Amino acid sequence: MARSQPYAVPLTGGLIKSNNSLELLRSPGVATKLRNFEVSIEGGYRRVNGYSVYSTNRPNTSNDVEGVFVYADGMIACVGTNIYFTQDGSTWVQINKDSVSASGDNYSTFTGRSGLTITGQDQCQFALYEGSSDYGEVIITDKSGSNKPFYFKMTGTGDLNTRTYYAKQITVSGSLTAKFCIIHDKHLVVAGDTTNPNTLYISGTNDVDSFSSTGSSSVTLEDQIVGLKSFRNELFIFCQNSIFKLQNINDLDNIAIVPVTKNVGCVDGNTIQEIGGDLIFLAPDGLRTVAGTARIGDVELGTVSKAIQPLINDIMTSTDTHQFSSVVLRNKSQYRMYYLKSNDTTATARGIIGTLRPNGWEWSETLGIEAPAVTSGFNSSGVQKSYHGDRNGYIYNHDTGNSFNPAGVSTSILSIFQSPDFDYGDLGTLKTLDYVKVFFSAEGEVNPVLRTRYNYGDSDTPQPADITLAGILPPALFGTATFANFAFGGVEEPFVRQALTGTGYSNFFKISTEDTNSSYTINGLYISYRPSGRL
Amino acid sequence: MATTYLTLTNEVLTELNEINLTSANFADAVGIQKFVKEAINKSIKDIANEEPQLPFFSAGVSGGTDPFYGNVTVASVAGTRWYLLKAGSSNITTDYSSVDWEDFYITTINVSGESAPYVSKGLKFLTVDDWTRYYRDSENEDDANAEARGEPRYVIRSPDNRKFGLSPIPDKVYNIHFYAFSSPTALSAYGDTITLPDQYANVITAKTRYYVYQFKENLQQASFALEDYKKGMRHMKSNLLNPQPKNISDDRLYF
Repeated sequence: MARSQPYAVPLTGGLIKSNNSLELLRSPGVATKLRNFEVSIEGGYRRVNGYSVYSTNRPNTSNDVEGVFVYADGMIACVGTNIYFTQDGSTWVQINKDSVSASGDNYSTFTGRSGLTITGQDQCQFALYEGSSDYGEVIITDKSGSNKPFYFKMTGTGDLNTRTYYAKQITVSGSLTAKFCIIHDKHLVVAGDTTNPNTLYISGTNDVDSFSSTGSSSVTLEDQIVGLKSFRNELFIFCQNSIFKLQNINDLDNIAIVPVTKNVGCVDGNTIQEIGGDLIFLAPDGLRTVAGTARIGDVELGTVSKAIQPLINDIMTSTDTHQFSSVVLRNKSQYRMYYLKSNDTTATARGIIGTLRPNGWEWSETLGIEAPAVTSGFNSSGVQKSYHGDRNGYIYNHDTGNSFNPAGVSTSILSIFQSPDFDYGDLGTLKTLDYVKVFFSAEGEVNPVLRTRYNYGDSDTPQPADITLAGILPPALFGTATFANFAFGGVEEPFVRQALTGTGYSNFFKISTEDTNSSYTINGLYISYRPSGRL
Repeated sequence: MATTYLTLTNEVLTELNEINLTSANFADAVGIQKFVKEAINKSIKDIANEEPQLPFFSAGVSGGTDPFYGNVTVASVAGTRWYLLKAGSSNITTDYSSVDWEDFYITTINVSGESAPYVSKGLKFLTVDDWTRYYRDSENEDDANAEARGEPRYVIRSPDNRKFGLSPIPDKVYNIHFYAFSSPTALSAYGDTITLPDQYANVITAKTRYYVYQFKENLQQASFALEDYKKGMRHMKSNLLNPQPKNISDDRLYF
């Protein structure tokens, strides 16, 4: 009998969509499908967490959630045509109030005020000026282009009914509106007025609600602005076909607009995030980093999403307009971009996860997270909170739990990892597989399903039935292990040995789950095979 | 219950660590599974070719219609020398695969109109060459002459292997009994059973493995499998063809 041969594959590299099947033979650790998995910062591919309903009590019935923001000891939610604050989800205080006293209203006065009309509120952007107040001052703009920037501040640390509330619309100039806002070096900067889409308005120094005080100014660019991001000591201005940076904002004599690139623009300002000492945004040709683009000055080389270029192309070539949102999960070095077509449902809502690893960006996909509004930030207690909202008025705790819970209904997470075909060094030799060892890090009992397919799934090749790798338990650790839920004496990263059948020139493995069990990480594969001819 | 085609196929596939078939996908087998299915039929034919007179290839049960030795009975016709071995067979592909030419028996027992004393004796096999050399001319000199006919003493195999002949030409009706063996019918459906007793199924699987390992270019395993097959055939022939007591008799006469 031919001698068994070993083949070990550490799983690394993330989702690759841009290589052909022969190229993929040389990178066995990547994934050709990586849905509802994330690249773990510890290596391997981890099934994503789920999400749970923040509160079954929706702030504004089934209206779309247009924005969420971690603020003070709770969160701000823009839903329908109103804006709310809540500490716990049970009580939603409408904060878009009209005629609020400049010196602040107490709770009863504030809640008794009539609502401030917000017309056709669309996806919102938030800017937080921390200043010296308890929780800082929040400025909210929305993409409708119909509304002035909205200002909100809350002071006091006791119960809500003991706090002081400040709310108003900020007048930039006359009836100018704004779609985008950012705090940059003591200034509020807004842009996106429908009649002046290429003009940037800068507030007074340390005076974010005034655009006429000292330090205020405006700058008109040649391109229409689609997003703003403060990065180090510069303000990056993203236009449709170019990127600029604003320098010396506090020195009006030397204030300057410097072009970063006139070859690349930004598709949507909601995709801009800062991560890993860089700005990442969605350009027409993929996700790019600003520093990379500025340094290289080349359309191609600055793209960090080449590995998933077909996914980007699908978005760009779609005739539907997408609604984008993005968030950075700092504890995972992770950038998430969600995108929704107008007719998408929760089940069809997609997203892209990029994890910054030592060797660069590695990608995966999500399916089933409808998040036109998403945020992650630290509350007043210094605790990182992540939330997202859907098109049905619900707000969720983002990236938590073992199930998706749209509208509070527990739903299984369908997660799929699929390796490229392994040729074991020679595509011309038949290999009979003896067994595979799958290295798992389970966080609870998991029962993944293993599928083996030979010769790229060729229908003329016998293909084995799926195998359930049942009852994989995490190792028991002193102080945390409970009976029947952990494997006593188990190693930290157990491997599951599974006998295999079948022969082919190449084969791939697919590991999937569709349940509400705990998450798990697939770290690698070890395959024992026997060469068995070349015919 | 005899081993089914499906069981046999899966035994080989399992030995080779290949994916087993089910009754549902048996007919649609592809690749190595299809090859194994075909190799099983080829192996059974190999066994039949190597030893066509194994009992399980028998064309029928002996003495089924007559308490005489043989599983086929052909009635002679006065004046007719040649008879199809298998009545109704249209060509050689549907004939018996083998006939025991040393065991033809002729009798008038159970022949209508016959009464004791009956003719009842074995027919000696005569090669066509000998018959041609010594008998054909004289017997054919006037084959219409009933006087030249008689009680057959020899059986002759026709050169095309489809008929047997009697010498002399029969003068009346006799029953000729002999043993015939059929070609194995190729297995087709998953529930088809082999004619071999289960204990010899491994002879088939050994030869099948031989073919599959050749297919997989694993010559070492192929030679091992061939050895298994040869050993299995030896045992099978020993058990089924020579089961009588082993003794030696000495018929020399001393004066």
